[in-house]
Formats: sequence, C-alpha cells, structure tokens
Amino acid sequence: MDGTVRFDFMHFMPYVHLPENHKDYKSTWVDFPNKYYDPKKGHALYQRYLSELVIADQVGFDAVVVNEHHNTAYSMMAAPNLIAAAVIPQIKNAKICVWGTPPNLEYPNRLAEEYAMLDVMSEGRLEVAFPLGTGMEYWANPINPATARDRHREAIDIILQAWTQDGPTTYYGDFYTYRYLNPWPRPYQKPYPPCYIVGTGSQETIDLAAKLGFGYSSVFVTKQRALELNQNLRRLAAEHGHHIRPEQLPVQVIAYVAETKEKAEQEAVEHLRYFFEDALRTTPTFLAPPGYLSVAELKKRAALADKLHGAFNFDNINESFFVAVGTADQVVGQLEEWGERLGTNHFNILGAIGNMPHWKVVKNLNFFGQDVIPRMRGRAAAQRRVAAE
Amino acid sequence: MTATAFPPQFKRETHSVNGLNTTVLTAGSGPPLVFLHGAGIWHGVNFALPWTEKFRVIIPFHPGLGEADDDPAMTDIHDYVMHYLDLFDTLGLEKLNLVGFSLGGWLAANFAVGHGHRVERLVLVGPAGLRGKERPKGDLFLLPPEKIPAMLVSNFDVIKPFLPDNPNDLDFMGARYREGGTLARLWWEHPYDKKLPRYMHRLTMPTLLVWGDEDKLIPPAQAQIWQSFIPKADIQIFKGAGHLVLDEKREAVDAVQRFLS
Repeated sequence: MDGTVRFDFMHFMPYVHLPENHKDYKSTWVDFPNKYYDPKKGHALYQRYLSELVIADQVGFDAVVVNEHHNTAYSMMAAPNLIAAAVIPQIKNAKICVWGTPPNLEYPNRLAEEYAMLDVMSEGRLEVAFPLGTGMEYWANPINPATARDRHREAIDIILQAWTQDGPTTYYGDFYTYRYLNPWPRPYQKPYPPCYIVGTGSQETIDLAAKLGFGYSSVFVTKQRALELNQNLRRLAAEHGHHIRPEQLPVQVIAYVAETKEKAEQEAVEHLRYFFEDALRTTPTFLAPPGYLSVAELKKRAALADKLHGAFNFDNINESFFVAVGTADQVVGQLEEWGERLGTNHFNILGAIGNMPHWKVVKNLNFFGQDVIPRMRGRAAAQRRVAAE
Repeated sequence: MTATAFPPQFKRETHSVNGLNTTVLTAGSGPPLVFLHGAGIWHGVNFALPWTEKFRVIIPFHPGLGEADDDPAMTDIHDYVMHYLDLFDTLGLEKLNLVGFSLGGWLAANFAVGHGHRVERLVLVGPAGLRGKERPKGDLFLLPPEKIPAMLVSNFDVIKPFLPDNPNDLDFMGARYREGGTLARLWWEHPYDKKLPRYMHRLTMPTLLVWGDEDKLIPPAQAQIWQSFIPKADIQIFKGAGHLVLDEKREAVDAVQRFLS
C-alpha cells in the first residue's frame, strides 16, 4: 500500500429505544410510527453520540462521517448538516464528512450554501458526498423516485456551477430554474471540498462518479461486488480522463476490537444482530419505490435483500460483508488485506454498531486509536521507506 | 399462469408512433371502439370479445405498460393524449367510440375534453383521476404490490389464472415494477388530476359511467362526483363486482355494448 492510511469514524446515531412490540412491524423505516420516539431519550442519545464523534477525533481518527436518513429509528440524522455544525467547534483536527444529503431532496442552491458554510466554519475540513438516497427516502420526501436520478444529476450540476463559476450565473434546467445563482458564502477549499458519490452499486451511479472524477463509496454491498465496483470505476473514470486515487475509494467496514477474538465477538455480535435485524429492517417495496431502480437491478437485489435487511446470521454477514471483529492484530490484518485487494488506503469504520452502549463504543475507539491506527500507519510508512530506497 | 390473457381472435399490429413502437390489438369489424386499458393489463382482454361482434375493437398498449415500449420522456397525462392523437391519425380513426377503464378512464376523459369532436360516445369504467377522500383507495402506491391483485376483484378466481403460481416470480415482479415506474412518472406527485374537473363541462357527448359496487380501489361513490361534472352522464353500477367490473360481470360488458350501439 502506498501513500498514507486514512481512518474515518462513521456514526448512524440510531434511536435505539424500540418498543417491545417492534417486531410486529415489518419495517423500522418509512411507516414505523413516530409515537415511539421519546425526545427526552433522544436528547440523551444526541449528547452521547456527539461526544463519540469528538472522542474519535481525540484518539486519532482522520475524519468523522455523518449521513442522512428520514422516517426511521435507524438514524436520528434527518439533517446531517446540523450534526456537522454542532461538532465543528469541538473537533479540532479531523475532517467533517457529510456523506451526505441527497442533493435532489434539497434545493441545490441551499445545499451549496450549507456545505460552503460548513467548509468555511471548519476552515476547509469539509468533505461531501452526493448520494441518491435509499429507496426509503423517496417514500418520506415529496420527490418522484422515477425521475430521481435525472434530478440528482441536475442538482449536482447546479451545485458545481455555483462553486466553480463566479456568480451570479443562470441555470435553466429540467427541474430547476435559477435567474441569480449566486450563493454566499463560497467554499473555503478551492475549487470545492472533496466530493464522493455514495451508493449501493447501481451502474448509473458508478457512471456518474466516473464522469465527474468523484470518489465512490460503496455501502452495503458484498466484498466481491465492492471489488468489481472499484475496478469498474477506475476503468470508467480513466475513459473520462480522471485518475482515481486510492483515498477516493473508501471501504466501509463494520469493526470492533477487543482483547481477544472471543471477547470481541461476545461484545459485538448482539449489536450486529440489532443492526441487521432491527435497524435495517424494511420492506422490498420501501427499498425499491417505483422507477427508482432499473428492472435488471431490482431482480439482482431481490436475492440480496433477505441477507441484508431483517435477517441475521453472523457467519453469513461475516462472509459477505466487510466485518472485522477481533483483536487489534486480526483487525489490522483484515483491513490490510481488504485495502490491498480493493486498491484503497481509506477505511470508513462503522465503530458504533447498532444499539452498542457508550462504553463499548469508547473501548472500540480507544483500541483503534492506540493499536490499529498507529500500527497501520507505521507499517504503511515503513513500506514507503522501503519503496523510496 | 394457466389462461390466455390475449385471445387469438385479436391480431397484433405494431405501429411506430412518433418514433415509439406501439403494439395494438384489433379484432372484429364495424364502427371503431377503442378501449384504453388500466394501470395493468396482465389480466388480459378476454372480456372484450363480445364487443367484436358489432365493433372493430382496438386495444392499444399504453407506452411503458404491457407490450408497448418505454418512453421515459412521457411524464404526464397530456403526453398520453398527444400519443393517442398520433396513433388515431396513424390508424385513420377520425371518429370513434372511446371506452376507458381506470387509468384509461382518466386518459379517455382527458382526450375527450380536448378532442370531443372525435368521440362519438364515451364510457368511463371505474375511472381514476379524481381526488378521493378515502385512503388508500385510488393510490396504488400505498399498497404493497403483492396485495394489489386481491384488491382488484370481488371474486379472486376471475384473475387467479393470470397470476404466476409462485407469488415471488421474478419475471412477473420485474414486469410490474417496470410498469410501476411508468405510473410513478405519471402520478407520483399527484395521484389525481387537479385540472380535469375544471374542463369536464366539455364532455358533451353521450357518456356512461360504469362501476362495480365492491370496487376497493376507487369507490363507486365517485360515480356521482364524475356525473356532477359531466353535462349528460348515466351511471350503471354492477353488484358483486370489484374494480375489474368488465372482467367480473358479463352484464357490464353487454351494457357498454348496448350504450354504444
């Protein structure tokens, strides 16, 4: 592995106090009744989760990652820019990654403004992603899933125009008309913050990332598919004249480190179960609103859905997805192997798994800060020295 | 699937309409009767056979549904009205009888509002398009796809032969998903037509409203609302029939034939 190694800490900020009868509901998304949300418990969770992002910065993570979901107990970050704004004054070194607001669910000029605000406030530490959003978001927001991809492209086009051309400019599109596109403030980083596309592997999203030369983060795809997607993106981006650097291909890894493998599994597995069985529980219809996927993609996903959403088998999950649960040595070994195979040096660590209590998250963060991160940085540096000689 | 949805009496013709391949089923001879189908056509057109004795029955597949090609650029009902202006010109149909069912009823009403001089008589069968008060009636997107077939009929045996034996049949699921995308382009934002009532006074041709009294998708109470906007419309409600009243009740098919004759 060349270059440096980068570690992100990603939080989903789940609302974990599900009612006892929650299994009666087929989904904890979209139509899961919001009467089950207790704002007092929500307040305590926000306090705790924000502190965990701050600890991640303190122990040596390079970035913290937040994202957006609606109508769900899976995540309390309906507006991730609010979370980013709340942690910017408390996080001294780490980058702030908003990965991100689906740009077609927001007015594009407003998103360009909000991201520029965060970039200026953080003195250029913002990174953004432009996800299409899960199918579930289109049941919650008044945006047509059948035209979502076209609207997504147009929104990104507008945001990049706002960031790269001196305003005021005009934009006359299929979905948006701007007579004075002239957002204040403008981004701190020039020409604009590092951008990624986040997705679950639709060819359409890969093509978009390749065309724009953006990074691509595949999420909730199998190991094999992640490998194919990265290879695909590199090839397609090259056709558009872009060279994709390793750090542009973050791999999302669910990771937990403890003193022994047994202890790590003992401490983590129940929360993995919660994550897959309860937090990710949704219906095929919510996952794929009409027109959101191509028919070929729908059929492809029908097979994977059972594995990912609402059923749990640790061995299956371990086999299929990037899950590293074990000692620091074992986790370092796995991350290095995956990094090598995928051609990346950028690890996006889901280290607060499901309904994991605060002490376990802190323990996990500390293991990363004391063992995993320094060890991998040391080995990468040693390799660089060897390569230089 | 055990039954033939499209009986051999119907010939298939494919026409290029403004560059879009459009399959049309035709049978019989006599004055033209154009049937505009609903949001799904997998249950077939067997019900229309009696009409072929007196009419030249013409059943086009709507773009993005059934055997027609997709056209993602068609995003509202007026795109479909324009498509049918082109198709009727292609088929040389200057005047025609227009029968529209469900989505096709909404479409037929819109066509007739703008081009009433071409419509001799109009039949709207359980038409979609008006804003209903009840939920989830009238909004297919509130129903899980696997629950839709049972919502369409009073007697499930009528449509069972047209459904796959395996409820998770990937091809059937994929075909319905593709049609769902077409429908989403058409009515995701508004599963009803805000403007149609404003122009329904233009439906001056003789008009018949047909409904099943057990319609679970669009309640028969909507018949009166349609009638209140149309200058002269009769209502015929058939007992023991759901949304697919033509498939379920031969009497309804005969009533349409009598009205058009």
